[in-house]
Amino acid sequence: MLDDGMTAGLDYHALNAMLNLYDEAGHIRFDADRKAAREYFLQHVNQNTVFFHSLEEKLGYLVDEGYYEAAVLEAYPSEFLREIWDTAFKQKFRFPTFLGAFKYYTSYTLKTRDGKRFLERYEDRVVMTALTLARGDQTQAMAFMHEILSGRFQPATPTFLNAGKQSRGELISCFLLRLEDNMESIGRGINSALQLSKRGGGVALMLTNVREHGAPIKGIENQSSGVIPVMKLLEDSFSYANQLGARQGAGAVYLNAHHPDIFNFLDTKRENADEKIRIKTLSLGVVIPDITFELAKKNEDMYLFSPHDVERVYGVPFSDISVTEKYAEMVDNKRIRKKKINAREFFQTLAEIQFESGYPYIMFEDTVNRANPIAGRITMSNLCSEILQVNEASTFNDDLSYDHLGTDISCNLGSLNIAKTMDGPNFGATVETSIRVLTAVSEMSAIDSVPSVRRGNDESHAIGLGQMNLHGYLARERIHYGSVEGVEFTSVYFAAVAYHAIRASNLLAQEKGQSFAGFEQSEYASGTFFDKYTDRDWLPESDTVKALFEGKDLPTREDWAKLRELVMKHGLYNRNLQAVPPTGSISYINNSTSSIHPIVSKIEIRKEGKIGRVYYPAPFMNNDNLEYYRDAYEIGPEAIIDTYAAATTHVDQGLSLTLFFPAEASTRDINRAQIYAWKKGIKTIYYVRLRQSALEGTEVDGCVSCTL
Amino acid sequence: MKDLDHTPAVPRAINWNRVQDDKDLEVWNRLTVNFWLPEKVPLSNDVQSWATLTPQERTLTIRVLTGLTLLDTIQNTLGAPALMPDAQTPHEEAVLSNIAFMEAVHARSYSSIFSTLCSTKDVDEAFRWSEENPHLQAKSRLILQEYNATADPYKRKIASVFLESFLFYSGFYLPMYWSSRAKLTNTADLIRLIIRDEAIHGYYIGYKFQRATEQLPAEKRDELKDFAFSLMFDLYEIESHYTAELYDDLGLTEDVKAFLHYNANKALQNLGYEALFPAQACEVNPAILAALSTDGENHDFFSGSGSTYVIGKAVATEDEDWDF
Repeated sequence: MLDDGMTAGLDYHALNAMLNLYDEAGHIRFDADRKAAREYFLQHVNQNTVFFHSLEEKLGYLVDEGYYEAAVLEAYPSEFLREIWDTAFKQKFRFPTFLGAFKYYTSYTLKTRDGKRFLERYEDRVVMTALTLARGDQTQAMAFMHEILSGRFQPATPTFLNAGKQSRGELISCFLLRLEDNMESIGRGINSALQLSKRGGGVALMLTNVREHGAPIKGIENQSSGVIPVMKLLEDSFSYANQLGARQGAGAVYLNAHHPDIFNFLDTKRENADEKIRIKTLSLGVVIPDITFELAKKNEDMYLFSPHDVERVYGVPFSDISVTEKYAEMVDNKRIRKKKINAREFFQTLAEIQFESGYPYIMFEDTVNRANPIAGRITMSNLCSEILQVNEASTFNDDLSYDHLGTDISCNLGSLNIAKTMDGPNFGATVETSIRVLTAVSEMSAIDSVPSVRRGNDESHAIGLGQMNLHGYLARERIHYGSVEGVEFTSVYFAAVAYHAIRASNLLAQEKGQSFAGFEQSEYASGTFFDKYTDRDWLPESDTVKALFEGKDLPTREDWAKLRELVMKHGLYNRNLQAVPPTGSISYINNSTSSIHPIVSKIEIRKEGKIGRVYYPAPFMNNDNLEYYRDAYEIGPEAIIDTYAAATTHVDQGLSLTLFFPAEASTRDINRAQIYAWKKGIKTIYYVRLRQSALEGTEVDGCVSCTL
Repeated sequence: MKDLDHTPAVPRAINWNRVQDDKDLEVWNRLTVNFWLPEKVPLSNDVQSWATLTPQERTLTIRVLTGLTLLDTIQNTLGAPALMPDAQTPHEEAVLSNIAFMEAVHARSYSSIFSTLCSTKDVDEAFRWSEENPHLQAKSRLILQEYNATADPYKRKIASVFLESFLFYSGFYLPMYWSSRAKLTNTADLIRLIIRDEAIHGYYIGYKFQRATEQLPAEKRDELKDFAFSLMFDLYEIESHYTAELYDDLGLTEDVKAFLHYNANKALQNLGYEALFPAQACEVNPAILAALSTDGENHDFFSGSGSTYVIGKAVATEDEDWDF
């Protein structure tokens, strides 16, 4: 126990930091963090919360002062409002960690306009989110509130932060835009980046189609400056636009590995890059087709192709052809300008840059497109590399109006807490309710400032249901992350989620009498999507995993066959259903481990612009079960990839997969992990993270997160 | 190369495949992978945060950083070069030249912070302040006296360790304090990179001191120890005044002093000596102590660049790696 004498007079930041320092007996001081959370409420939150005598007074004030959107509340009778608020407050919600509470009150809760006083408690935010998304349906509002407040389902930050507020950003998390090889498209792209950053949400842009450095313009050689200046423009745009200072704009750019500017693109993240080309805050992603691996295997050169010429030869943008399929043809075609680099050197350079910066992300182009049940091509991913959807090029008139309005991508996300969902009373209902919440966000969003995004959303109602707290759950159940049982659980769990997600989307299609555009051309309509579920079972085999699912109805082959008939008959409302995001902030509020990753440290040091450095204990951890909390660096890339591979089979979009290495690793270790990931059918790789242990003799004494 | 001073022997090329002291190679490797430049840190993300500081807090911050600039300048131009003639191995000289260069990078970094956050007038004023502040000048002079070419080579090392492992920390405290309050977090990232370097510098020079003195007669060693403790007392005296002058207005002086005690002990430990301050005088605010560790941090990439990335070891893949 904590000696009160020792901690007396410490503020909550100091108490929280004690988590990272062992006590005299070598134990982690979990009670110091609980005390920090308590003190935070006593010293700060309670003293700075505006007091109201009644719910009526509070809602009246918040609507009159323009904090809450009146229309949200007017959709419900006042008795119901009282009932839902009462029910919520009766649950006696408490934040189990300091970071959870601190993050919520710093970044999410409604504050007075001077930013000094709090107007909401956690329950208020949850109820307002439920009321907003249920749009007057009382049963749904109650169901949404229960799923969120119980912690089973957590909407993504933009939804949870903004729902019900009068002046707010968009509810959508994430946008993906194509750029084509002309100035109109680039100009539109920059404008869209500004507009979307202003409204919140990360923006990714695909640069694959932009002609390379030195390419001709209007037939005159050596005119184009390539992709780097476009990246500079985008980086500046993102730092200019932020949501009233609430959130810095953030963006990513994707480039195909066979684009001639690929090395310059990567060099922008070099430690010694010149200021003129250095990219500091823009995230990079590389699209790698299978052929690049084949060439590296044979230790051959890889050809890079001018997008300008490819488009002239094939009549479609570079991104819309498969490099793997057309590679030999393009190599032999004299009309396509090309240069070559060694394929293994390319992979090594990739790993060198990842060492220095953590970037780029990788999308395995052919894996992604093989697994895509929707007609069309997936050419890029997003800022967190979990969104994988088809898009369509737009063409422009001289005045920048649309000649042809294509489709771009948006996605709204929310994640299930695996532990809470497994503890919950009705697995299928939790998934269904979550799909309904996310669908509501899609239906309520209309991004008019970027018409191609609006069209994409209207036609697809694409959503991304994610998952978090896998490691926390497994550790609580005394199963090692990445063990045979851990991987088996992941496979069974994700198969069951896929079943209920498709079931829910099919119900929505029946209710609304409408399917997403292009359903008829999809593998859902032909039924072939379901083959892998009707040809074999996805049920637990080991006793350990069977025990975890005891009392739960898991979908059998027969269930899947019935669902196939329903889908082929009535369709699906959402074109995309699942995507597993990295879940930073929301997993702290929800007391989860991030995504389906292993923990990065028993005590995580979390640093963000708005909260500074705060310490976070892994969920369900105590001084007796520490052995199940081996961190990502100890677990190593293979076990992580195995776990993700088991989940990937059942996720129609992607999963943000970070790889973790000790700083003593070499580029070869990173390359081997990438090859292994590609071989195992992983779709994308997010960051590479490194940990350098302190040189012996220079470490901070008694620090939990420090490694020796 | 040092042989040139004493004997007309053949000039010798450094051979890294014949390393006399493995520590040289270990530290060289660590310092080179840790190479960084201030441009990698998105300091401009701190502009909004800077605006939330009171004028008094801003002045304090600029002054603290100016004080650090002075120490890094001394270490770059005089401190590390002064140690080179005493180097026991050619590899030690190479390490010292790396240390000297990185000190120049550090001194340069503070200017990057200034040019991003502050007005020229405020910065000029702070530099004038640093030339006039009696405490800052006094501690610099005490150290410089020992760096003098005629001074005892062992005492040079002692002074150098005190500068690297003790004197910097009254300044490092402030950015760590701000970052624990979610202010100037990118500036803190940059300072943490400097701390990462200085920790190794102090440790390495201290190690070399221990190696150099282990063969000395007992009375010489006693003399050095007396010298070290008396220099520490003198420096501590000055640091106490310096700390009070800077931090009194914010009410942080007691806290900073605990941090000074902690680091004074660390500096003495680097030289192989026992602690000077008792444990209860070293109870550093946990938020500051925990903020010092650079490993294991999980930063949000969208608001900062973190302090964990290094220059990796490039190793080509082999055929067996491409087995699919």
